[in-house]
Parts: sequence; structure tokens; C-alpha cells
Amino acid sequence: MKIDNFLKIIMSPKIFSYTLIWLIVLVFFGTIAQKNIGLYASQMKYFSSFFFLFLGFIPLPGGRLILLFMTINLFSSLFKRNLWQLKKFGIIIVHLGGLLLLLGGGLTAYFSSEGNMIIAEGETSNYVDDYHDMELVFVNNTFKDSIEYTVVDEPLLKEGNRFNLFENGPEIYILSNIKNVRIENRISPADSIYKGLLEKFVLLPKKPEPENTQNRPALIYKIQGTSNGLDGIYGLFLGQGLNDYFQLKEQDFHSEYRRKRTYVPFEIELIDFEKIMHPGTNVAKSFSSEVNLIEDGIPRRTLIKMNEPLRHKGYTFFQASFIENLDKETTVLATVKNYGRLFPYISSIIMSVGLLIHLLISLPKMIKKKST
Amino acid sequence: MNLKRINILFLYFGLSMLTFFSSLSAFEVENIPVQSEGRVKPLDTFARNLLLRFYGKREIKDQKINATDWLLDLILYPQEGRQRKIFNIRNPEVVSSLFLDWYTDHKYSYNEIIDGLSSQVDLINTIEQKDNSIRTPFDKQLLELSENALIFEKLSYMKNIKLIPPALLDENAVWQSPFDFIISGVTPSYHQEEILNSLQQYLAARFQNNDSEIKHALSNYENVLSGLSFNSVNVEKLKDETWMNSANLFVKSLAFYILSFLIIGLSWMVKPVLFRKISYLFLIIGFFIHGYGILLRMQIMGRPPVSTLYESVIFVSFILLLLAVLLEYFRKDGLGIFVGSVGGSILHFIGFSYASDGDTLGMLVAVLDSNFWLATHVTTITIGYGASLVAGFVGHLYLVQNILDPVNSKKLKSIFNNLFGITLVALFFTLFGTILGGIWADQSWGRFWGWDPKENGALLIVLWQLLMIHSRLSGIARPPLFALGMALNNIIVALAWFGVNLLQVGLHSYGFDDGVARNLYLFISFEILFCLGLYFFPRLKSRFQTI
Repeated sequence: MKIDNFLKIIMSPKIFSYTLIWLIVLVFFGTIAQKNIGLYASQMKYFSSFFFLFLGFIPLPGGRLILLFMTINLFSSLFKRNLWQLKKFGIIIVHLGGLLLLLGGGLTAYFSSEGNMIIAEGETSNYVDDYHDMELVFVNNTFKDSIEYTVVDEPLLKEGNRFNLFENGPEIYILSNIKNVRIENRISPADSIYKGLLEKFVLLPKKPEPENTQNRPALIYKIQGTSNGLDGIYGLFLGQGLNDYFQLKEQDFHSEYRRKRTYVPFEIELIDFEKIMHPGTNVAKSFSSEVNLIEDGIPRRTLIKMNEPLRHKGYTFFQASFIENLDKETTVLATVKNYGRLFPYISSIIMSVGLLIHLLISLPKMIKKKST
Repeated sequence: MNLKRINILFLYFGLSMLTFFSSLSAFEVENIPVQSEGRVKPLDTFARNLLLRFYGKREIKDQKINATDWLLDLILYPQEGRQRKIFNIRNPEVVSSLFLDWYTDHKYSYNEIIDGLSSQVDLINTIEQKDNSIRTPFDKQLLELSENALIFEKLSYMKNIKLIPPALLDENAVWQSPFDFIISGVTPSYHQEEILNSLQQYLAARFQNNDSEIKHALSNYENVLSGLSFNSVNVEKLKDETWMNSANLFVKSLAFYILSFLIIGLSWMVKPVLFRKISYLFLIIGFFIHGYGILLRMQIMGRPPVSTLYESVIFVSFILLLLAVLLEYFRKDGLGIFVGSVGGSILHFIGFSYASDGDTLGMLVAVLDSNFWLATHVTTITIGYGASLVAGFVGHLYLVQNILDPVNSKKLKSIFNNLFGITLVALFFTLFGTILGGIWADQSWGRFWGWDPKENGALLIVLWQLLMIHSRLSGIARPPLFALGMALNNIIVALAWFGVNLLQVGLHSYGFDDGVARNLYLFISFEILFCLGLYFFPRLKSRFQTI
């Protein structure tokens, strides 16, 4: 009996109305918040979360929970007995389409990844830079024919974290993880514990920009147990030109702080980047990258244009941006792997078919009403 | 039935006359092609846009001179041109910084402002270094004025009037000004020389006021242009655009809508049937002129109806009118005419306030420059906006009817049925417009949904309409509450349409809006007060009556 009542509530269209009201409130305030905290932070806080804290201490349901609830409500409402009538056939189909759209959204939320592939003209790349996550990398330069990377992922790089780089290897102690850094000259000579960049400069946090891509993150860490006595405190920031060199396990290493890389099972070579402007203006008319898609050493030539991406092996490459240097141009290809990609396409077709059927079913009724 | 046939005949005749006249007209100096802001346009549009920039309006009304004549006079008689009061300065601080007196018409000549400007070069340079977000209104206007003065100076010796097509007839190549040939000493190619010659011939004839020579020069000019095998130059299109500039079609459609509104008002007092029919006729005439204007713009730019905010306003009002005309056709009681004439007029006025950045027929940034998606997503979502506004409007009328004549339940019910039907239409278009937008985003940015303000705005409309429909069907909302909800839907449409540009975040923020915020707040507060008032008035009244 109790379960029956519970089911009744879950599948009730009234519940749907109330969840809609909350979603409207959420979307409204989540959008307003973007002006202050930026698109990404607001998306994380309000839409991609199950709960968020209002005023810092009141937990309220976030977008994911609401959409999950809506999906359950929509799904269970399909079991209502009085729904399954021929005259409601179109309506059933429309709601199935909506359900599919929500399911696709869930799939995308959990199983998609995105980032940038940045390639200069004439160069080749096989990895994607994450938009948000960083990684600390120790590069082993000892071997002539190969490079060995030891990668520390973002979750380990929290302030106060300690870990060993290899088994019984040197210990890393994260002193500070800075979202957006300001680099300043040291006024007085540094303590001898500061090494590398930090001998001459200090890394200070500054207010993060709303758009995450405009931030320059940095990391300050302490390393102990190097074999050439270079233990000390080091600083690293994104895009740093000079590297710090260590000897670890009697081998030569240097460290880098970079955007998290994901490797793709093929390579892309940029042959030529082209930008066409509306004549006599600074307004771009089109961007395009002529690339070689290299797989098993065999190149295939293809053109990536605005609104015309390259799709290969589940990855999609979009012409997103470019960097203009004096000597050569660099293309920025937004790269996405998304298993839920086709859902919106399918569900919109299903929903339009459903509406069409509903229209055809109710048309005779409407005409009859008019003639009486 | 008879009246309807006459309508159609009349319109057909009118439209064919319009096109006939615009194509037969001779090649005038206004039609000469110029390349500016990324496309080839007639000299008339070029000159009008300059005037809009300097003077704030597209023509100088009180001096009885059209834009092209003003520009040519400036070239031929630069001394007089520099004394013409052409610069509109709205800021008294700027005026006093130029050592000038504050005139009530705010108009100053080049000779008046140039001394003041050149004595402040250092200040202007400092302003130029500043980021736009920290410039004060004074900074912005002074900078704008100094830029305008520079443009004006170059105009007088034709340095920035790109009249000469490139030597290689390539669509993406930059055209040259007559000045380029004098200074750089480039030898013109054959067709360039021919154009330069006809231009020189024309200017000389104009200087001597020799009418027959002017005609001769222009026909030469036209022959050279027609002889070019160049896609960017199409003499007929140039003529069409010049004609459209002078015809001011949207002002005419507005006039018909206002007229229609006045007559429907009259019909409430005397001869209801006759005046309602006349009013309907005017509404339809206005609607066709309106549609023809949109069609012409589409032809000239070669792209679907909506690509800028201005065009979206004009197109939304077109959709609103379409639905209103249909509503009137089915109801025949003046309700559709009322919705169409009032809604159409309001939207026209809103459109005119955006005309300065949209009516100039500018070019689009790369991501938007896709006719397929402009045609599908943007058009669908704009139709959705239009239908939502009609639903909102009918929602208001339902609430008013509920106060004026609550006992006439048959009429109330019929208005409600129309309201519900239009809401379904609106939901259909906003929902698919939003999904299509997601698919476009998936095609060009790689994600279907990114919680971007513009996307969220469209989503809010969809959610609100879903909420209203489900609340009605599940019995939470009775018809008056549903009508209130749809009336308030206007606020959400306004926020999604204009409001998101104020946030200035995300990939969609190609909008630009100073001062829109205040109007938006006014509109929102007014709507909330007005609709809630309409909704609660009958309840309070009945409570007082029972006491």
C-alpha cells in the first residue's frame, strides 16, 4: 500500500510541475551567477551537481538531481493505465522522445570528454589538452630513443598532499596550488631552500578570471630525495619556458606543469591554417585547417572548417580558435569524445513524429468541432 | 468573401508595381558600388551609414539634402562641406572641452570641432590606451568624435571610399579608393581605368552642373559595371537596395498598423462590422509591406531573414502579425486585429531603436555565417518568440475579458481555447528551435548543451511553457492562472531575447547593449504589476462585494 502511494507520487504530473518550477529557478539564478563566477564555475555549482550550498550552508538540490528526478518521473508516468489509449499515441511518442533526450544528457554528462588539440603549422600532435585539469609531469630524458613520463594527476595536487614519486622514490609535498598566478621579482635574496624559478621570483595568487581558460595556474611543491642534492622548494606555472632539472634514481629528469593530456590513437598534422576576412574589415569570414590524419603511418588529407568538423574513431575535431605568431600560425581544434552525441538527433526526430501523429489523430476532432 | 478577393488583387497589384518601378529606374549616382564593412553596397547605403555615424540619422532632414548628395558635395566643395553642421555631440562635457557653446540642436561643423580636438591629442591618445570597460561616457564620446573627424577628413579627398574593384576580380579582395591610385602610383588595370574615367567624367559634369553630361557619365559607368564578370557587383541588386533605403518599408508598415489600430478603436464605437473589415484590410496591407521588406533584405544579403538583433525584432513582429491575421480570420471579432496592430507597432518601435546597428546590413562573424543553420535554428526559434508573444498578448486579453465581462463564459472559453492552441504552437517552435540550436552547437563547438546564457534563456521559455501546459492538464492551474502564466511568459521571452546580452558571458555574447537594461527592468516591473493586478482584481472585487 505504501509503495503504491509512493509510486503514485513519483509518477504524478503534479510532481513534474513542481520539479519544473525548481529547474526554472535553478536555470535562472545559475545564469545570473555566470556574470560573477564565470560559465564553468556556475555550471559546476548549479547544473552539474546533485546538491549545492545556498548562502554557504543550506543544501539545495542541483541540476543533476532534478534532471534525474524528472527522468524517473517521466519514465514512471509511462506506466499510467489511462495513458495507453490510441488517441494518446502521439503524446506517448513525444514523451518517449523527451525521455531519450534526458537519457542522452545523462550519458553525455558521465561519459564524454573534451579538450583542445593545439598544432602549429608543419607539426604533428596525438594528444588533447584538458580545458580545466592540470598535471605535474616528470620527464625522463636519459634514454636516447625514448622519453619516459611520470604523471601526477590533478586529484593528487591538492595543497598539503604528500606522496612518493616512484616506489621508494623522492617525496613530493604540495605547498600551494594556485588557480591564477601573478609572477613578481623577489626584492630580497631568497632563502637557500628555494630553487629554480623561485630563487629570483615569487608566485602569488590573483583573483581567478570568470573564464577558466584565461587563468594561468601554478604549483609550488617541495621535493626531497633527489640524488644530486637538489632538494628544495620549486615553483612551476603553465607555459613556463625554463625547466628545473633533477637526478632521480640516478637518471636525468625535468619537471613540467601542463594541461592534462589525453592521447588519441592516431596523429594529426597541420599542413596549413587559413583565415579569410570579410574584405577590408577585421571580421572573420571563415577559418579552416588543412590537416593530415595519420594512422599507422598512412596520411589522409582532410579539411576542418567552421561548422564542418572532422570525425574519426569516436573523436570529433572542431575548428575552435587559432594563435597567430609572426612566422607561423597555430590552430586550436576543440576535441570531443561523446557517446551520447546521437541522442538529441534521434529524440528530436521521435518527438516531431509524435507531434505529427498527435496532430493527425486530433485533426478530425478539431474539424468536426468547427463544422458544428 | 468579396472583400477578401479585392484584398488579394489589390496587394498583388501593389507589389508588382513596387518591383516594376524599382527595376525600371535608371542608374543613378546613388547606385554606384562601394565596398565597405565587408561587402559591396550602393553609394547611397554607404553615405547613409556615414550620416548615421556622424549625424545620428540617415538623412539631413532640415537641410533638405540626401545622403549621397551630401557626400558628393563634400568631395566637390570641401570648404563648404567643412562648415556644414554635421557632427552630433550629445554630451555637454565634450562640447565644453572643445571650447564650444552648447547649441540646443547639438550639431557642430568640422571647422568648429577640429581646433578643440587637435588641442587634446594627448588626452585622446590616453583614452585610446584604456580598456573599453573603464572608459567613461565622456571618454567614449570624445574618442568617437575624434574617430569621426578623421573619417570625415579622409572622405573629403576620397581616401576611404573604396569605389574601384580590385584588378583581379576576386570576391574576397579589398577594393581601392581613387586616392590609392594617385598616391601609390599603381597603374590601374583596364576595367579600373574605365571606372576611374567614368567617375572623373561624372564628378566634372556635376561640378559644371551639366545635366546631359551627368547622364552620359552615369550610363558609361553602368556599362562598365555591367561588363564586369564579377559576382560582387550586380547592378539590379544595387538599385534594389537604393530603392529599399528610400522606401522605408518598415515605416510604411508601421503606419498601416497604427491606422488599423485607430480604425479598430473606431469600430468599438460606431459601425462595428464595416470598420472592423477596413481595419483588417489595413492590417493585411501593412503585413504584406512588412513581408516584402524582409524579402528584399534577404535578397540583398543572400541570407535567411534573421541574423542580427534588429532583424530578429522585425521578423518576430512579422510572425506575430501572421498569427494575428490568422486569429482574426478564425474569430472575426477584432481580437486578432487588436493583437496584431498593437503588438506589431510596439515591436516596430523597438526595432527602430536597434536600427543603428542592424539596419546597416552588416556582415556576420564566421560561426554565424552559415545559411543552413541561420535558416533552420534561428528562424525556428524566432518564430517561437513570435508565437510566445502572441500567446502572452492573448493571455492579457483573457484576463481583461475576465474582468470586463466575466459572465460571458462562452467568449472566455473560446479565447482560452485559442490561447491554449497558440501556446502549443509556441512550445513546438521554441522546443525544436532550442534542440536545433543544440545540434548546431554540437556541429560547430562539439557540445550539444553548455548552459550558456543564450541557451538557458531559450530553455527557460520552453520550461515555462511546459510548466503551464502540464499544470493546466494536471489540474493545478485553472484557465485564469494559465492565462496569467502565459502573460508573464512575455517577461521570460524578453529576458531570453535581450536580457542575456547584458550578461556578456559565453560563446553567444555577440550582443551589445548599453541602456537596454533600464527599459527591460521597466518592462518587467510593469508586466508583473499589471498582470497580477488583472489576475487578482476580480477576486478582490468579489470579496469586497460579499462583505
